Amino acid sequence: MQINELILLIAVPLIVAVINIFLPVILRKVLNFLSLAYLLFLSYQLFRFGAVSVSLYDQVLFNVDKLSIFILVFIQILSFIILIFSLKGVEKNIEKAFFILYPLTVGFCNGVIVSVHSLSLLIFWGLTGITLYLFAILGNSKDAPDSAKKTMVVVGGSDVFLILGLILIWFLNPSKDWQLFNGSIQLNGWVPYIAFFGLLIAAFAKAGGFPLHSWVPDFSKDSPVESVAFLPASLDKLLGIYLLARIVLSIFKLPPVMYLIIITLGALTVITAVMMAMIQHNGRKLLGYHAVSQVGYMIMGVGSGSVLAIMGGLFHMVNHTIYKSNLFLSLGSVEKQTGTNNLDELGGLGSKMPITFVTALIGAFAISGIPPFNGFYSKWMIYQGILDLAKGSSAGFQIWLLICLILAIFGSALTLASFMKFIHAIFLGRRPEKLDNIQKAPANQWIATGILATLCIVFGLFAMQIPIKHFIRPIINEYGLEVPVMLGYYNPTLVLLLFGSVLLLGLLIYWGVRKVRFDEIYLGGMDALEHFRVTGTEFYNEIRNMKPLKGIYNGAEKKYFDIYDVGSKCSFSITRFFKAIHNGQLQLYNLWIVLGMLILLWVVL
Amino acid sequence: MIAWILFHLFVFPGMLFTGVLGLLVGWLDRKVSAWFQFRVGPPLFQNFNDFFKLLGKETIIVKSAVKSVFVVAPLAAFAVLTLIATIIGLALFYNEGFAGDMFVVMYLTMTFSVMVILGGSSTGNVYSSIGAGREMKLLLADELAFILVFLVPIVKSGYQVQFDQILAYQQNAGAIIGSPSGIIAFIVGILCIQAKMTLAPFHIPEAETELVDGPFMEYSGPLLAFWKLDHYMMYVIFPFLLVLLFLGGFNLTGIGILWSVLKYVGIVVVMIIIKNTNPRIRIDTALNFFWKYASPLAFIGVILAVLGV
Repeated sequence: MQINELILLIAVPLIVAVINIFLPVILRKVLNFLSLAYLLFLSYQLFRFGAVSVSLYDQVLFNVDKLSIFILVFIQILSFIILIFSLKGVEKNIEKAFFILYPLTVGFCNGVIVSVHSLSLLIFWGLTGITLYLFAILGNSKDAPDSAKKTMVVVGGSDVFLILGLILIWFLNPSKDWQLFNGSIQLNGWVPYIAFFGLLIAAFAKAGGFPLHSWVPDFSKDSPVESVAFLPASLDKLLGIYLLARIVLSIFKLPPVMYLIIITLGALTVITAVMMAMIQHNGRKLLGYHAVSQVGYMIMGVGSGSVLAIMGGLFHMVNHTIYKSNLFLSLGSVEKQTGTNNLDELGGLGSKMPITFVTALIGAFAISGIPPFNGFYSKWMIYQGILDLAKGSSAGFQIWLLICLILAIFGSALTLASFMKFIHAIFLGRRPEKLDNIQKAPANQWIATGILATLCIVFGLFAMQIPIKHFIRPIINEYGLEVPVMLGYYNPTLVLLLFGSVLLLGLLIYWGVRKVRFDEIYLGGMDALEHFRVTGTEFYNEIRNMKPLKGIYNGAEKKYFDIYDVGSKCSFSITRFFKAIHNGQLQLYNLWIVLGMLILLWVVL
Repeated sequence: MIAWILFHLFVFPGMLFTGVLGLLVGWLDRKVSAWFQFRVGPPLFQNFNDFFKLLGKETIIVKSAVKSVFVVAPLAAFAVLTLIATIIGLALFYNEGFAGDMFVVMYLTMTFSVMVILGGSSTGNVYSSIGAGREMKLLLADELAFILVFLVPIVKSGYQVQFDQILAYQQNAGAIIGSPSGIIAFIVGILCIQAKMTLAPFHIPEAETELVDGPFMEYSGPLLAFWKLDHYMMYVIFPFLLVLLFLGGFNLTGIGILWSVLKYVGIVVVMIIIKNTNPRIRIDTALNFFWKYASPLAFIGVILAVLGV
């Protein structure tokens, strides 16, 4: 086995993690920074020159193609940027553990992406789940252990299905020696279907797709904010959607109905999560629900079978990692300065933390799909892909696809709504008096969010020239798919230039004629007391209380739709039954033994 | 090429044309409304006088406001509307796809509301904040129906999403309003633009009698002038959009000119009549109306369009 880039991508961060155990915190930071910078360089090398596969005992373990290089590059970029944010501001009591877990996670994630062997993929996949759990228990809030447990049960539980799926894939074609990605399995008969759904469940749980999403908002609320931006907002999305892309592109060949099912699940993910996000009072939880709802677009895109939408879905995945980590980190800055992430207690910080405000605003625009930011471009591609798919379908399929499309487009209006609430509650509106002495975020924090916000703009303006040309189109070409002609027409740079020139003219006019006077808030003669403060969290109470949404919201708040909660209730009720019949009386135990024996005999004979 | 683009953006059919026509149609609105109330109404150039007078007035900015947002919001809204006007106008008058397709325009119209919300809530005034919240809810209410309205021409024209192609389809196959699905979508479309322009009965965010103009309450001087201008520009943009999507565009030769003017003025007059004959409704009523009645109706339109009716 020769040492090459692929092994270094895994080994370097793991070695750093081990060395970090023995170092003081300041050196841990330096070492992390240097090693991640080196990994960034390595991924660039990989992007330029590719790499030779790594084999062990005549079985290929690690290999890369265009898709995995694409994911690897963005894992390194995001880890590096989020590390910059973490250099100053991680809570003191968890700092030591944080800087050990951080490189560990990067190494494991790289391991997942470079693996082409079922076993190594499985091992690294499981290890990323464990680091996720370890990050969750670093949280300070009193719900943190519960959230960590929930994360472990959902994500770890889905690993069981991954194992099942991988074993069945081997069972379907033993001659391939556990190699995953060379050849397409037809979905006929129940064995391939179980394998397919097993892998799908793993991908959905990791990325946070409906109905396995419920760990994401809880993790977002209770874990350290850096880890939230790092895992569920960025790396887990990359891993989950990577697996989904592999499932539909490299492992299975799906019939059209399956595509329709995946698209429907995607649309449901979008709409249910965004409806929940709208009514949240906790900033992190709001963003957490959005981290779920955006997955819906990716699932719709990547799992649609339309090349245009697949490109859009992959692009949306990257865009999401950028703007969502930006939003989480911006909120993190606010939280570190004010000490709260409760939207009811914040407000009017736009003039106190201007840079954080601008970065959060750009993130909010990008996630809501305001042109010309990056979120719009990828959504736009997905919509066209769905329309393209509908074009050649029968009437029933068309209506079904159009319903999904409507949900997706309306979902982005709802996204906008909840982000207007988010921005209003934190940065606009009336500032509570206790926040009058808030300071700006430290430089490392706004540098990190600033880079991410810049990426939002650059990827929006030069989508065709940079990410699609260098990363996404090569993937499509490698799979031998034809890149279709776009249905629509959209020129982001032109849109920005035109908008900018009119805005400039307006500013010049204003500048020329302005006569400014500063005054207090006018309330028709009343004093503008803090009592009259509108936080913004109550914006959507009418929607919350609307029939029939009210019943659904009430049910959701009682966790009727949370698969973890429903599952734990079911299993507890079963164990309660067994507990009740084991009441300590020996006669009864004898009866159970005899009954069990009889049942066994009946089954066997 | 650059001169061509700048001409279209700043003169025709962009800023100047939309602004002037908007202020003139604003006069029509005020005049017709006056007739409804047995008043005489203002003279033809009243809106221009108002605009220029406001430009000369003082701008009062709230001390505790996020000042940059307060100043940029009305100007950015103006820029967005100019951009939409240019895209729609170039398709209408020159048969040309420019800068963006239907999805782009759909999202840009949302951007206008975003600017209203940001501008309004930057002041910290309680009325402005409530108004901003209502603006967002109203957007949610009409957006669902608006998406469905957009989908009918898309489906009818065989999944075209560029304006010039939809126009070309209508020139070959007749205006989309000629079909049952087209009629349904057109009617819902008029209701949607009524809400998008926050005209009565949907002037819920401004609600003069309770919220004192809501998001615009703290605005004065040139910035208020731009908000007023933005409002009147929408009198051009949204009717043009409906003409483009459903009425087969304009034909500016011979008798076609008269028809074109009639199409446009007809839509505007319908909007003014609705405005003057309805009281303001509550925001939850508006949500109910759009989500439970208008959107299902528009969805029937989409189904009919898929079935080719």
